[in-house]
Amino acid sequence: MRQLKIAVVMLLIGGLLTTAAFFLAFYTAEVQRFGTVTLSEEIDSAYPLVGVSNEGLQYERPWFSQKIFYFHVPVAEASFLVLILSAFFGVRFLTTRRKEYDTKSRIAMETALTFVALTMITGVLWTKASWGVWWDWEPRLTTYFIMMLLMVAYFVLRNSIEDEERRAVYAAAFAVIAAIDAPISFFITRLIPSQHPVVFKSGFATSNLLPFILAQVGMLMIGYAIYVMRMSEERMRERLEVAKEALED
Amino acid sequence: MARGAENRQGSRGASRGLSWRQYKAILRKDIVMELRTKEMVTSMGIYALLTMVVYQVALSQAGTAFDPRQIAAGLLWLAFIFTSMLGLNRSLVHEKDQGCLEALLLSPVDRPVIFFAKATGNLIFLGIVEILTVPVFSFLFLQQGSYEGQWWMIPVVLTAGSMGIAGVGTLLATMSVNTKGKDFVLAVLMVPLMYPLLLAAVSATTVAVLGGADAGSQFWQAMALIGVYDAIMLVACFGLYEFVIGA
Repeated sequence: MRQLKIAVVMLLIGGLLTTAAFFLAFYTAEVQRFGTVTLSEEIDSAYPLVGVSNEGLQYERPWFSQKIFYFHVPVAEASFLVLILSAFFGVRFLTTRRKEYDTKSRIAMETALTFVALTMITGVLWTKASWGVWWDWEPRLTTYFIMMLLMVAYFVLRNSIEDEERRAVYAAAFAVIAAIDAPISFFITRLIPSQHPVVFKSGFATSNLLPFILAQVGMLMIGYAIYVMRMSEERMRERLEVAKEALED
Repeated sequence: MARGAENRQGSRGASRGLSWRQYKAILRKDIVMELRTKEMVTSMGIYALLTMVVYQVALSQAGTAFDPRQIAAGLLWLAFIFTSMLGLNRSLVHEKDQGCLEALLLSPVDRPVIFFAKATGNLIFLGIVEILTVPVFSFLFLQQGSYEGQWWMIPVVLTAGSMGIAGVGTLLATMSVNTKGKDFVLAVLMVPLMYPLLLAAVSATTVAVLGGADAGSQFWQAMALIGVYDAIMLVACFGLYEFVIGA
């Protein structure tokens, strides 16, 4: 019960932090520039005039779609971490055979899948704004998509087994294999040429770092809160099942 | 003291010899059963042939300017992944339906030995189907263009790729055979897990078919990826098999 209270507090703080990060991202963070835009006449712009060509005046183009970075990246990092956590609980289950670790692994996988869905939605929006297409089969997107399919497969596997013990063992084993894709997807943009930006390699302004850190910490808190709340719901349901069985007898 | 050590060493040597014998026995059982029923290789072979027919339909409107060699590797591996799923499912369904898996578990055989023996059996059957499919495929689709690659690359990439398919597939088929939707679950689990291997295998096979200036370096780059995948996945499957088969 105490854990649940902490979770509620975490959820509130996490919500506040991510909201603060959202405002900071628009008010204090520096707007990144993204190439130039050519206009036929002079305008009153906060963005500097870089040159005059035959077609018109060239202004630096503000890169507003970059703002989704403060939401997209924290959610994506959280999804990797929670997936690894799920695999960790899977290993704990296989070594101890205690049912609670199976439940923990399943709930962690659910939480991770929620984050994956959010990452996919924000990512697709950004891709359309920045690359002009909704989807591109480039290494990061592909490995991430595969990761999502593996997590969906985890639940397909669970749902098609009736025996409880067997379901727990198979799910734990599959969670471990599926989690191998998380580091691959994370490091692939650093290893092979990919269109997906690697922000922390290309440098970062301090005014952008603050909202990012706030959003990241807030998102991890929200993730923790979702996980704990789902766990307590699950425990209550188990108690209810036990009570029901006792009543029937 | 010395005798004790000797004894221990002797017994360890004997157990190693024993597990090698167990490995051979399980493998021989699979091969003998296949020779009697000829079920797996026939069904996989016919399935591969049917896939070729479907490919013909898919390519029927492509026109004469289209060079099938560009996508030959992809088509080949597509056929292999689907036929292998069919075969893997069969190989474990037999074990389960006839109670053989339970007998194997009751006998004093190390679990890893079962894994390696089953995986080797599946590798052999998949290999036979591949050996049959590759000439048929090139006969049906690759007659116009000349062959510009280096032929020795094809068996190398086929062997490395099939090792990954057979290893991971044996673990996943052992799981899926105990589920409600056997072959569907196998496909859902297998295709995403196989993705990195398939991508690298298709890239290596394309180089082997098309050749090119830096064919060697491209080929070995893809082969390195396959090697890393095989190593990581086989170790993971080997470690997890004991838990999975006991459940």
